[in-house]
Amino acid sequence: MKHLRSLIALTALAALPVVASAQCRSFVKNKCAASMLPYKFNETFNAAQLAPGEEAEVDLTFFSGQEYRLMICAHPILGEVNWKLLDGTGQTLFESMANDPKPNFDFKVATTQQLKVHIDVPQAAKGGNEMINVGCVGILVGFME
Amino acid sequence: MRTRGWTFGLLASLILAACGGDPPTQDTLKTDGLADSTQDARVRKTKNIFHNIPSPMETAGLLKKAGAEYDKDILNDVKNVDNYTSASKQALNLGIYGADLSYASVFNNTQESMLYTACAQNLAKRLDVAGAFGQETVDRMEANRNDRDSLLNIISETYWDVDAYLKENGRDNVSALMIAGGWVEGLYIATMVCKQHDTPELRQRIAEQRIPLGELIELMGTYSTDDPAVAGVKGDLDALATLFASVAAPTASNVTQENGTAVIGGGAPPATVNDEQLKALSEKTMSVRNGYIN
Repeated sequence: MKHLRSLIALTALAALPVVASAQCRSFVKNKCAASMLPYKFNETFNAAQLAPGEEAEVDLTFFSGQEYRLMICAHPILGEVNWKLLDGTGQTLFESMANDPKPNFDFKVATTQQLKVHIDVPQAAKGGNEMINVGCVGILVGFME
Repeated sequence: MRTRGWTFGLLASLILAACGGDPPTQDTLKTDGLADSTQDARVRKTKNIFHNIPSPMETAGLLKKAGAEYDKDILNDVKNVDNYTSASKQALNLGIYGADLSYASVFNNTQESMLYTACAQNLAKRLDVAGAFGQETVDRMEANRNDRDSLLNIISETYWDVDAYLKENGRDNVSALMIAGGWVEGLYIATMVCKQHDTPELRQRIAEQRIPLGELIELMGTYSTDDPAVAGVKGDLDALATLFASVAAPTASNVTQENGTAVIGGGAPPATVNDEQLKALSEKTMSVRNGYIN
């Protein structure tokens, strides 16, 4: 029975990355996708499990004349995730926590260009235990057809 | 008895987690056991893994707004689907048929949409991603075939699911090939429709593809050393990038407000391609695309 326990524990550990990733897909689909309506969302899956203190970046191409919705959808376990939209020179065009926290940004671009999204997951509160909470962060880009 | 309870508890937790319960349970990982160099590398990779290429559907929509007309004769022949026996060709052509499906659907050609859906589903099955693009999806599309908006939403959702399924199963290279195939087909369609209906707007949309091409090359660059199929595709994209190098890519990033909506940029002239650049890009794109579909 001891061997069985070890075997099951090993199987569980091996399955964790796949299970976590599948949860991320499920989380984005069930908790975030509906907020993109009426925009059609981009078909690229951009989501990952992030830990407190981690950062993520993605470069996105936006076409002139198009209306876009950009949304960063983070699991509440990560706290208030701050994200910024930056231009090619690093100038901040939008910051989610700058005034009232906003999960999404609706905008148009007059000139087709590449912009960068930078995501900061806040550090975990000090004095906690030795465990870290990992949560899903999804980046969704929608366009008006 | 205590052991049995612990075992069932663990198994039940795994099954519930895998089924994607609502809301999903997040993992709690112990830092000590995972803080090795492999884990560090994985985390670093996770932080930089996001490469976003505009979707074939957005490209098709841009072409439509730019005045393009629908031409079914330029699309990949549905009869070719059985010719793709290697996984790399299947992945590339899943992207190509996906782009054709988006093009046909955006231009509201339902009959062809269903044909391209069948081709894409065939390849998805052979690539073992039927879990994300199975008969159920085809049935949903069939049921919504006369509702263009619903059809477009189902197509977007399906390709998002396929991409997610591939990535969550560690098959990112297959996803990259699918994305590359879709992008090449989008550029091919744009250059072909521009031949028939040459407008400044279409030339602008072709010229602007320089930007996502750079991102696509970066994505391919993350696999090229250990995957010959991806390395070959990266070579094709590098060749296209050489032709795009002389195309100006204007940037402008001031933020203004227009009827309550933020507007980024403005003032810069739109990108364009001259006759010589357009000819060279059209020929190279056709050559690359023919290499994928034949």
